[in-house]
Amino acid sequence: MKPLDTLERLIAMAINDPRFEALQSAPLGQWIALAEDESKIVAVGPTYAEAVANSEKAGVSDPVLIKVPKAWAPLSV
Amino acid sequence: MGPTVGVSLKLPYRKVPDGKGGFGYYAEVPVNIALPTKNAPRSKRFGAIIDSGASRCIFNAEIGKAIGLDVPKGEVETTLGITGPSNTYLHDISLYAPGGIIAIRAGFSADLPVAGILGMIGFFDSFKILFDPAMLRCELERIYKA
Repeated sequence: MKPLDTLERLIAMAINDPRFEALQSAPLGQWIALAEDESKIVAVGPTYAEAVANSEKAGVSDPVLIKVPKAWAPLSV
Repeated sequence: MGPTVGVSLKLPYRKVPDGKGGFGYYAEVPVNIALPTKNAPRSKRFGAIIDSGASRCIFNAEIGKAIGLDVPKGEVETTLGITGPSNTYLHDISLYAPGGIIAIRAGFSADLPVAGILGMIGFFDSFKILFDPAMLRCELERIYKA
């Protein structure tokens, strides 16, 4: 493994990552439902249950749910 | 007979905002949970962070409620985090992870800032796990105990 391989991979991930772009635009403190391919937000809700219901209303029955923290920061639980 | 090895997969690290205009990474895997009864309905898939610093798997209480748990009726367990002690409520559940169902006793917390954390008891005891900083990915290999 050459160091350049890692650098190229880092750059590629930084440039082209629709999931990251979705997270950047996500409302803080909410639950979001991502499309099956995790490329975009299809629904939002203040609770898990409401985000799931809104996802189903949007026609997405197999979303991936993410709890967006109240502020983005390094995680230590 | 010793443990046998099953499904293996490579999960790219997931990029997340760091709150300072940049980004960091989580090792994260989409999972479902359900009550430990036959044909119990599963939660939707949700992103759970692989965290060797967590003693056991902990999930957001809202997901527990959605699958039918009366979360506060679980056994209380006090956990120690960087901000001090916190109570979680323990329940037996089925974790749908790569390679199939794992029967675990997991904690549920209303204060968890994310959907779920996959810790030592319930997750790391069912996988060989390699964190690969060169390829920015996590490699999971499921272990089935005899």
